[in-house]
Amino acid sequence: MLEKLNHLYNRLGFGVPITLKDSVPQERFDIDKIFADRAKEKPLHLVEKPQVNVDEMKNSSDEVRKKKRQKSRTEIIKLNGAWANQMTFTDTFIREKMSLFWHDHFACRIQIPYLVQQQNNTIRKLALRSFRELLLAISKDAAMLQFLNNQQNKKSSPNENFAREVMELFTLGRGNYSESDIKSAARSFTGWAFNSVNGQFVFRPRTHDDGEKEFRGKRGNFTGEDIIAMILEDAKTARFITEKIWNYFVSTEIQDEAIISTLASEFYKSDYSIEKLLKSIYSSDWFYDARFTGNRIKSPVELLASIQTHTNGSFDDVASSVFAQRALGQILFYPPNVGGWPSGKEWIDSSSLTFRMSLPSILFRDAETNFEAKDDGDVNNLTNDVTKSKIKFTADWNAIANRFTEKNTVSTLQKIESFLLARAATQENRKLIEQHAGNSSTEVEFVKRAFTSFISLPEYQLS
Amino acid sequence: MKTSRRDFLKQSSLATAGTLLIPGFLKAFENRPLQLGDKKLVVLQFSGGNDGLNTIIPYRNDLYYQLRPQLGIAADKVLKVSDQLGFHPALAKLRPLYDQGYMGILNNVGYPNPDRSHFRSMDIWQSASDSKHYLNTGWLGRYLDASCKDCNVGHRAIEIDDMLSLALKGEKYKGMALKNPKKLHDELHGNLFKKLGDKNSASTMEDPSMSYLYKTLAETISSADYIYSKSSVKQSSINYPETEFSARLKTIAQLISSGIDTRVYYASLSGFDTHVRQAPAHERLLGVYADAVHAFVKDLETTGDFDNVVIMTFSEFGRRVSQNASQGTDHGTANNVFLMGKFLKQKGFINETPDLHLLDQGDLIHTVDFRSIYATLLDKWLQADANAILDGQFKKLGFI
Repeated sequence: MLEKLNHLYNRLGFGVPITLKDSVPQERFDIDKIFADRAKEKPLHLVEKPQVNVDEMKNSSDEVRKKKRQKSRTEIIKLNGAWANQMTFTDTFIREKMSLFWHDHFACRIQIPYLVQQQNNTIRKLALRSFRELLLAISKDAAMLQFLNNQQNKKSSPNENFAREVMELFTLGRGNYSESDIKSAARSFTGWAFNSVNGQFVFRPRTHDDGEKEFRGKRGNFTGEDIIAMILEDAKTARFITEKIWNYFVSTEIQDEAIISTLASEFYKSDYSIEKLLKSIYSSDWFYDARFTGNRIKSPVELLASIQTHTNGSFDDVASSVFAQRALGQILFYPPNVGGWPSGKEWIDSSSLTFRMSLPSILFRDAETNFEAKDDGDVNNLTNDVTKSKIKFTADWNAIANRFTEKNTVSTLQKIESFLLARAATQENRKLIEQHAGNSSTEVEFVKRAFTSFISLPEYQLS
Repeated sequence: MKTSRRDFLKQSSLATAGTLLIPGFLKAFENRPLQLGDKKLVVLQFSGGNDGLNTIIPYRNDLYYQLRPQLGIAADKVLKVSDQLGFHPALAKLRPLYDQGYMGILNNVGYPNPDRSHFRSMDIWQSASDSKHYLNTGWLGRYLDASCKDCNVGHRAIEIDDMLSLALKGEKYKGMALKNPKKLHDELHGNLFKKLGDKNSASTMEDPSMSYLYKTLAETISSADYIYSKSSVKQSSINYPETEFSARLKTIAQLISSGIDTRVYYASLSGFDTHVRQAPAHERLLGVYADAVHAFVKDLETTGDFDNVVIMTFSEFGRRVSQNASQGTDHGTANNVFLMGKFLKQKGFINETPDLHLLDQGDLIHTVDFRSIYATLLDKWLQADANAILDGQFKKLGFI
């Protein structure tokens, strides 16, 4: 029972929150109730006024530009820290996990804080609604229009960037459209732009190409909305999104064709209801099969969120949080490209695994690290400046010890293990940890050492 | 009880046959000493977009000075190496390498539809994709996949860094990042790591993620031990400048001369994104590079290893031809790539000088696809199947 709940919470969010540890079993498997309680929407409001006027930037002096850039970068880092924290809130984590999924799916990287915040809030708001709504909103989102150059997509000189990615990466997947479909789609999206003062979508009829286009075998004077509707009409889109959700929430390694195709057709019939799709996964029996549990490698952001969730701890400052993300190779709002982040095994190499396994000592035991996170060469990327030899993280170890200390050390360790690990540790590892923690002089120290050791295990990389 | 690694491997393979490490992984470095004449490739990356036109300077070109009124390097300062082109004065230490015929320079290297964003263009150079596609693997990682069917060792490609670049990540195999062999060795012996990696039945569990994690850990420890035991034998006799980048090249030289079975080395130098007041920063970086490479090559020559080494230096893009209003340069496109080796078949300037009259919106137009350079290195130097690794056929060049 407890194992099942752990699995559910690992996938719904980032593990069972330590503060809910004792109340969670009472929730049982009332998926509707869990969603009602734990998928609340809390928008971020850190960046007050839109300061997106690109032209204004171009005409400013060096000094002014430098200051503005500095400010922008600081604000994006604040947004990053706020979002990372919010992922671990007990009443929001389901929505936040889904928002993280969509941030990876609709990967977008721009340096204008207000637009970053606006897109993040749009994703959060629609994360569980209809993919139809979400896709349309993201297609009209200022940050995405800017990132994929739709601002420059005009009748006189079409820019195909958005048209290509919307089909290749966001909906149909490669191989389901032709180069001429891309050209027609690009023409249909001409005139889609945003107001650079307030960040709102605008349609500019004068730059829109309202001529006849041929798109995937149909002819008409298509608009951008028409293209999106036709893309959604194709069940291949439902299949593409279902597969991606499957890989993220069920299994990267095992593709159960029968289940996936059922889910995809339900998703299509529900007019792309994301919440229904997720609930259908979590309410099924197969989801709790051993073959699907504890088999996903956590992404860096998931790893950090799970450590916070499991300890109710937090980074003392945003710089520490961002440094940890950078050292692990995933910084919120800075996906490597529009294709999104790597996944699964791609995250693990000798150095990243070594760093992941050292992380608990750095966080919980104030171990110094002289680890140098790579910079991406861009002088304008402030996260490059976030270098710290000491990551500051605080957790209330007395409270944690209170929750876990049992009559004897073996039961204490058992309790901690089943709470933290998605997959049972081997006997050898249990012995190692028992020896290691056994040297402690107090109960609190014992629990702290046990946490540090369990979270250092390769098993903890799995969810 | 202290057990040597060799003893440990023997014991464990006897005691728990089939449960610990995969045999191929043992064989790979136990039974296959590096063969004499095995070629090694050293890739050096300038991060941030090096200003190629102020690195290799067209000092006879009036347009160059017109477009760069303050930033252009005065002809009398340029280290002239041909009747058209010369080195930035900070590259003085490269001059002897050039004169000895150890250097080949390719101009106008790039790719179609160039991307001017750092992360995307670096992605393209490291993954060797075109500008329309996204790959999650790197070209050197795919070289590992293709050339190393059964050898699960991380150290066939080593990056001197704390983090591994995409370039060295393959589908199946990945290179290994380390700053220095001792540090890694000590870290892995300092706590739970060694014990976890050594005695674990988890590496053979059926779950692919679980076994992958434990295999990676076991390989990391074995490779780290192996590299450490080899590299601590020999110390370099050459004095390197006291820079971080030099230290990285020195580590590479030490690893090469230790005879470990590593074919590819990788290191980066960052700071080339010179939008503002470029001159002093750029001069410093080029100096750091040239001085380090000078010592590195001298070191390899002393040990006799330079015969088997080719060094390639690249950046994700060059900079715009015109300087900007802040005494700097903005992101551009085509750029030069340096090749160094003892037996280059083409030396000096291999192709044409950049054409400053024929620009695409103020940027140089590429004439050599960077994947042709990769194809040449893979095919002719590392003896690998370039076509399979690069997903497409690229013309092999004549420098090797």
